[in-house]
This record gives sequence, structure tokens and C-alpha cells, in this order.
Amino acid sequence: MNAVLDLLKRPLVVALALILLLLVVGELLSPGFASPTQIMRLLIVAALLGIVAAGQNLVILGGREGIDLSVGGVVSLSAIIAGNLMNGQDAGIPLAIIGCIATGALFGLANGLGVTLLRIPPLVMTLGMLGVLQGLLVVIRQGIPSGRAAPGLSQFVTQPFLFGLPGIIWLWVAIGVLLALLLSRTVYGHRVYAIGSNEQAARMAGVPVAAVRVSLFVLSGVFAAIAGICLLGYSGSSFANVGEQYMLPSIIAVVFGGTSLAGGKGGYTGTMAGAMMLTVLTAILTTVNIDESGRQMIFGATLLALMLFYGRGRAMRA
Amino acid sequence: MAKLKISGVSKAYGATVALSRGDLELEAGEVHVLIGSNGSGKSTLCKIVAGSVKPDAGEVLLDGKPVTVSGPQAAKALGIGIFYQELSLAARRTVEENICLPDLPMRGPFVDRRALSEKAARYIALFDGVTGGGFAADATVDVLRADQRQLVEIMKALATEAPVLIFDEPTSALDRAQVDRFFEILRRLKAEGRAMVFISHRMDEIFAIGDSVTVLRDGRTVGTSRIADTTPAEVVRLMVGEEQAQAAPAAAAETVKTDGAGPVGLAVSALAGPGFAGVSFAVRQGEILGFGGLHGQGQSSVLRALFGALPLAAGAVTLKGGAYRPHSPRAAIRAGLAYVSGDRGRDGVIQGRPILENVTPIHFLRNRLTLARPGPLRDKATPAVEALHTRFAGFSHPIGSLSGGNQQKIVIARWLIDRPDVLLLDDPTKGIDLSAKADLFALVRKLAAEGMAIVLYSSEDAELLANSDRILVFNGGRVTRELAGADRTRFNLYEAAYEAA
Repeated sequence: MNAVLDLLKRPLVVALALILLLLVVGELLSPGFASPTQIMRLLIVAALLGIVAAGQNLVILGGREGIDLSVGGVVSLSAIIAGNLMNGQDAGIPLAIIGCIATGALFGLANGLGVTLLRIPPLVMTLGMLGVLQGLLVVIRQGIPSGRAAPGLSQFVTQPFLFGLPGIIWLWVAIGVLLALLLSRTVYGHRVYAIGSNEQAARMAGVPVAAVRVSLFVLSGVFAAIAGICLLGYSGSSFANVGEQYMLPSIIAVVFGGTSLAGGKGGYTGTMAGAMMLTVLTAILTTVNIDESGRQMIFGATLLALMLFYGRGRAMRA
Repeated sequence: MAKLKISGVSKAYGATVALSRGDLELEAGEVHVLIGSNGSGKSTLCKIVAGSVKPDAGEVLLDGKPVTVSGPQAAKALGIGIFYQELSLAARRTVEENICLPDLPMRGPFVDRRALSEKAARYIALFDGVTGGGFAADATVDVLRADQRQLVEIMKALATEAPVLIFDEPTSALDRAQVDRFFEILRRLKAEGRAMVFISHRMDEIFAIGDSVTVLRDGRTVGTSRIADTTPAEVVRLMVGEEQAQAAPAAAAETVKTDGAGPVGLAVSALAGPGFAGVSFAVRQGEILGFGGLHGQGQSSVLRALFGALPLAAGAVTLKGGAYRPHSPRAAIRAGLAYVSGDRGRDGVIQGRPILENVTPIHFLRNRLTLARPGPLRDKATPAVEALHTRFAGFSHPIGSLSGGNQQKIVIARWLIDRPDVLLLDDPTKGIDLSAKADLFALVRKLAAEGMAIVLYSSEDAELLANSDRILVFNGGRVTRELAGADRTRFNLYEAAYEAA
């Protein structure tokens, strides 16, 4: 009994159990919901969210109210840049990847420098950056066609590649493994936790606090850019604000996966489960004909409920 | 009959007894000095009178009637006004608003601005001519200098017009002219029949303004006498206690080697920074140099500045014969410095993370590692942690699962994998248990014997006397006395700490 209770206290276990529960509910509501092809489609959508949430996760782990609200803007911009650079040609893929990652890194760098050098709170800094990105997207849309995904990219995202799973799933798994290793087996990972847990103690132990924090924002921009490329491959062509839908879910996935918004606690494995859970939930909501605005409300309420849940947990421990 | 009589009050926080038997008899029309070393219970006694701390036992009599001071509001209602040592001003409000804050003049539901200005002006006028440039009734407190803020705090206490006034170190930031003016005001209040408690560490001030003095030692009142009937030396002797007033403790002579023949490990000259100036000293390899004196006289700031955690305004530092400029803790660690803070919660412990991660950061930095492989790291960390007899279940357990003393041992152990040349200890035993202290000092002496240069600041005088080869006494941000050999006595330490800076 105690063992069961202990298991229930682990966010990862709770998330996986919830995913199964949601799949069963979905199947009952609409037979065929949990069919292999549907699950594959859900996994692809979850991978897109999961890749955005990877960067979000790192920024939040770094503490000092770390959060990146600009991820959605970077996803949109990256999709447009990728669409234009490849314009339906496989030969354009390498350049598109380089261009998008550089763009994402640049916006992440700007966020990181604003947060560290100018000491702007991350919430304000990245919200401002989101505004800049949205304006930029409007300007770009007026002069540049949306561009098309290269066939190779679409194939990577949607067609089976290895063991029946498309390349993007393998990319997501690779990111998951790499981040787990980065966080637990490298000095950099230890430093991320250290600055998130106690920035002053980390500085006194010789951690280059500002450099680490800037790098987290850069990584967040890079992951959002990668997600943007994949999103283009998923939808074939880009349209303005395709990435907008990712801001709130990327934060919910991280929090649901057991990473503390206060920083220094958590990891990416839970976030991956959180991303899957949210994706299945979205699919169910769509199945029962709840539209985008309804889904947004439910997402917002979910985040607040999670905060309440974890906040209470902390209060009870103290 | 005494205006305020406190008898037999005590207060314990868990196992720590802050005050075991506090007595104080305050007459109307006198300035009563309260004195005692760090941790003797002065502040606790004041807080009990102010109502911010509830005593476990004992009674408080006001005008002969027993009263319960249940909180700051109750203290105000009873006519007890307090000057707080920790500044309690609202930084973004004006001087006049701060002065009147405890009792704002009202007109209906609104603050009466004109009455407020008039009331504040009366108290500001008391210090006319000594307030210094930039001081104005409508200036916000955050633009004022430290001494000016302290004046506002004094005015705020005076504005309560309470029959009983308590001043907890009101003069620490004031200049001579300001102190003189303040004392004039106190004498006038005395003539009006007010009763005042005055806490100060400056012996000259105590004898200039006090009528009687009560000495606290180790949480109990050990004596009260008329100022006219006593001498500074007598007061210091009461603070020290008879048995410890003579010669250095025997333990110190045995455990501490005093030859100090090694080459100089760290030398600083004319160091200045936040809260200290003109500090010069040299520590030899194998030597433990003690920093003594009252709390907050610059000892901690000097150590933090040397470690690159506070900016240095002036001065030169030589580390093992080469010039060294502390830019950041990171640079300091690379140069071979180590720093252990007494505030482990703020500066040391990486809470929520495994013990291993709390031991390894210095090793990573000094060896420029990029990979953290648990196996080899455990092998490196084990001897460091064992050197301090640390009790813990496993390296993967969170550091929060350890007791305070063992947490501090883990924080210290991080400096033992790659040995530094100079170890700076900033009150390292604050809040840790006796056995952990013993383990820690055994290690410190061993490190010194192996040739490390060590600077030790401790707020516990017994620790300082027992473990230092030499002691520099800090007073007002400067080194005012050096005690070596047989001079390292508690009496000399107190005398130097309490004399006028």
C-alpha cells in the first residue's frame, strides 16, 4: 500500500497513468481514437510540443523565475524561414536547418542577455520578445510568400523511418536521452541545477552563473527553432502564428512533468510524459468538439490547478 | 519604585538558550546602559520589552504593575518606544512620513498632511545643523546616507513621545557632532523624567551618557552598578567573567603552534571596501590568523572581498608571492583561495540536490572538467568527506537529509579534494552542534599543520582564542589591535573590541 502511495507521489508515474487513462477515455468516446495510426499521429504531435518544451524545461530549471514566453514566436518565425529557404526543394534543407537554428539561437541570446546583463525579469523580457517576434511575423508575411516544406522534411516528420516510427519520434527520443545525460552526467548539467537551486551558493562555488543562464535561453531558442522546422514538415506549408499554440502547453508539460517553476528541481523525462499527456488531452477535447478557445481555457485552468497542487505539496512539507 | 522592572525573564529557541535569566531595573529620569558581548542576550532582552519576542518565564513590571507585552502594538500602548538596530524605515517614503509612521495624524479617514509636516518638523529641528547635505523633510529615505537614516530612525523613536525609550545601538553610524547632539537630547529627556535604555559598544559613549550600567554574560544579568562607581576595566571584567579574565586558555597554548616560520601565503595592504578601510595583514603558511571583535566590524566583508564576492575599493593583495586581484569567486578559486561562509543556507548549500553534487563543484572548476561521472567522483569525494567524520547515508541522498552540522561539513569537504593555498573561514561554525565544531577545528588545525594559510573569523570568542595563532581585533572597519602569544586573552580581546573606534 505504501509502495503504491510512493508511486503516486512520483509525477512521472502519475503522468503515464493519466496518459493511459485518457487513451481509454478517448477510445470509449470515439472508437478508433486509440488505433495504432492515431497513436502514431498523437506521438508526432507530442514530439513537436516535446521539443519546444525541452528548451522551456531548461530555462525553468535554471531558476530565478526562468520562463520563456517567446518560444511560440520563434517556432512561427523558424517555420517561415525554413519554408522560404527550402521552398519545396530537398537541396535547401541543410541551409534551412542552419538558418533556423542560428535565428533561434540569436533570439535566445537576446533573451539571455536581457535577463542577465540588464536584469530584466524573464517573464517581462521574453514577453517583450514575443511582441517583437509577432510584429516581425506580420511584416514578413506582407512581403514574403509562406514557402513550402521539402518532401524529404515532410517524409521525416510523417512517414515511418525505423521500426515503423517516423524520424521525428527518433529525434525526440534522441533529445530525451541527450538531455538526460546532459543534466545528470555533465558538469554543465550540475551547474544548471546549482544555479536553479541556490544561485548565490553556485556563484560562491565558482559557477559562471550568467554564462550558464544565457546558454539556457540560447538552447530554448534553438529547440523552438528545431520544432519550427519540424512543424513545417508536419503541415506542409507555414502560416503566421503557427507556433502561438505552443507557449502555454510547453509550460504546462514542464510543470506537469514534475519540474518546479522555482527552478533547480525536475528533469526532461517527466516533461516528455507531460507533453504526451497534453497531446492526448487536446485530441480528446477536439473529439468532443471543444474548440480552440475552450481548449485554451482548459489549458490555463490545468496550469493553475497544477500550481495549486504542487504549491500545497510544498506547504505541507514545510 | 522602578519605572520598568524586568526580573528573571528567559527565552530559548529550541535547544539554544538566548536568555537564561535577564534582570533589569530602569528608573525614571536615567539613561541605563545595557552591555554584553555577542550573543549575551541583549537583543533578546530588548525584544522582550518591545513585545516582538514572548518570554518563556519571568515578569515585566511597568510602574510596579505586571504587564504582558503581547506585541509591538501593545508596547506602543504601554508607552514603550524603540529604536531598532536593524533599520526599519520605509525606503521609498519621505523623512517626515517615516518619522510619523507609528502614529500618523489623521483628519477623518485621511492622513492630515499639514499636521504630519508640523509634527515631523519638530523632531527634525532637534538635529538642526548636524544632519548634513541632502537631508530634507521631503527627501525619500533611500537617497540618504547611512548616518542620516540612523538620525531618521532616532527621530522616529523620539516622535513616539513614549515614557520608556529603548535605543539599540543608535550611534553606530553617527559622526561625533551627531552623537554630541543626540546626547544633549537624551540629557533633556532625562530631565523630563523619561526612562531610557541605551545599548552601545563604545566604552567612551557609555561613560559619557550613562547613569547606570547592567552587564549581561551568557544569557544572564551578572551585575548592575552606577556609572559613577565603576570603571571601563571593571565593566570589561564583568563581561569576561572572573575565571576567564586571566591569561590565554591552556588549550590554546598546547594546540596552537606559535612559531609561524613558514613563508607568507597571503598578504594584503591598505585594503578598503564596503565597511572596512586600511586593513593590512599577512598570513604565513601553516598559520591560523584570527579575526576578532564585535559583529559586523568589517571582518566578514574583508574575507568576502578577498574571495571576490564584494568589490574592493583600494589596496593590494599578494597571494603566494604574486600579485592577485579578486574579480570573482571563480577567479579566486582558480587562484587557490577557499571561502567557507557561516551562512550556509545562503552561500553554501545547494538545496534539493544530492550530497555528491554539493561536494564536487570546486573539483570541476579547478580541473576544468566537463563530464561528471559518479563513480570516479565518489572516489574523490569519499576521503574529503571522511576527513570531517561526516555522517551520511549515501552520496545520492539530498543534502537536506543531513543535520545542519553535517551539511556544513559537506560544504567544507568541497574544498578538500583539490587543496587550496589559503582558506578563509567566515564564522564557519554558526548554528552547528558541538561535535561538528570539534571535528571542524581539528581539521582546520591539521590543514594548518600541513602548510595551509588560514584566516579564521569567529563570533565565538572561545573558538577564536583556542584556535588562532594571532588575533586581529576589528573595530569600526579597521584593525585596531593585534594580539599574539600571551596577549591572546579574553580580557584584551574585549577591551580592544569595546574601546572607541
